[in-house]
Amino acid sequence: MIIAKNIHKSFGDLEVLKGIDLHVAPKEVVVLVGVSGSGKSTLLRCFNFLEMINHGEIAIDGKTINPKKDNLNKIRAEVGMVFQHFNLFPHKTVLENIIEAPMQVKKKGKQEAIKHGRQLLEKVGLAEKADVYPSKLSGGQKQRVAIARSLAMEPKVMLFDEPTSALDPELVSEVLAVMKQLAQEGMTMVVVTHEMRFAREVADRIIMLDQGRIIESNDPKTFFENPEHERTKQFIQLVE
Amino acid sequence: MPEIIVTLSEVFTRTLSGFLDATVITLQLTAIGIVLGCLLGLFFALLKLSKSKPLQFIANVYITIIRGTPLIVQITFLYFGITEFITLTNFWAGAIALGVHNGAYIAEIFRGAIQGIDKGQSEASSSLGMTKAQSMKRIVFPQALKRSIPPLGNQFIIALKDSSLVYVIGVAELFSLANREAAQSFQPFETYLVVGLYYLVLVMIFSYLLKLYENKLDVDKD
Repeated sequence: MIIAKNIHKSFGDLEVLKGIDLHVAPKEVVVLVGVSGSGKSTLLRCFNFLEMINHGEIAIDGKTINPKKDNLNKIRAEVGMVFQHFNLFPHKTVLENIIEAPMQVKKKGKQEAIKHGRQLLEKVGLAEKADVYPSKLSGGQKQRVAIARSLAMEPKVMLFDEPTSALDPELVSEVLAVMKQLAQEGMTMVVVTHEMRFAREVADRIIMLDQGRIIESNDPKTFFENPEHERTKQFIQLVE
Repeated sequence: MPEIIVTLSEVFTRTLSGFLDATVITLQLTAIGIVLGCLLGLFFALLKLSKSKPLQFIANVYITIIRGTPLIVQITFLYFGITEFITLTNFWAGAIALGVHNGAYIAEIFRGAIQGIDKGQSEASSSLGMTKAQSMKRIVFPQALKRSIPPLGNQFIIALKDSSLVYVIGVAELFSLANREAAQSFQPFETYLVVGLYYLVLVMIFSYLLKLYENKLDVDKD
């Protein structure tokens, strides 16, 4: 679903990604971990071209993307993204947040968009919040709306950039539950997170980034019980 | 009753019908100045925020010139400059000058407000497949506009008071009329005091309406 070849990305003089190769299969759930500054969020943002890579190649759903020629908006429409800080549209109600892109980008009819939007709200357990503004929601509810908003575009793959990092501890589980359900339904997902329980339970594969390189890529059992790399061992001790 | 009150009320009554007519002209000038100013302001704010250096340059030249020269010079320059080429009444020359002048300040208000909107908003729009234009029109600008309202209100009040400067090209607005009255009646003190009150009342009404609108916005959302 996502094939990344030799990705390099620098911000000024700082090289954040130093040659990443990654292949995410359809329906696979990949969790990216690593200490802050390891490049995991940057890598995720390269996958929907919020950051432009300096070198390398990214293919989405079998098509190699040329950022200069291809219509990036069209590609982004197929790659959902959930942000750490939700980034809901504060001037629109929950339902308006969800139907905005389907109507503007996919040119869906309003009734159809609303119908789908309500189904998605039902799915994330917020059907009764359709007409309130985001400021009236808790962090966990905001993030669930953000997930529904992304799903409204019927993406082929979902990217999650530390989706629970900005939440109070007691609100984390409601968001993870929605993500787990998505994974079980066969959504292809790439998740940057510090939630090791989620990684252990839901991930098909855990990838450890360190200083812009992938140093470990294993199934959760091996990753936690038999890590290959010394840095991975240290990291696991640190977070558990 | 003290004599000053008597003279003032006498001046007030005598000038009432003329000043009310002139008030209408002042309000028309202000309204055109604001509407034109907002349109130009939005246009130049977008130029300034564009990625193109030449477009940024054009916006910077406009803003620098307008902010760097007195309004009264701009009015006379535009009036005598523009009427060389096209026929324009002094009212319209004045109104356009006010619009062009306000546009530079409003451009900076809009630019600041747009830049003040969290980057996450445009990133979220992009990640949903929206184009830059869609994101600006539907997501970023509506939020920026709401934040612009207090400084815009301030600019509108300045625009109202600044409209008095078009007296210099002979538009029959409030201040022009006051000048004429003062000269004809030999009562400059009373006349300018009365006309000052007109502006004060107009500004107070303006501020009150703005306040109502701001409160309404706050109640509506977040």
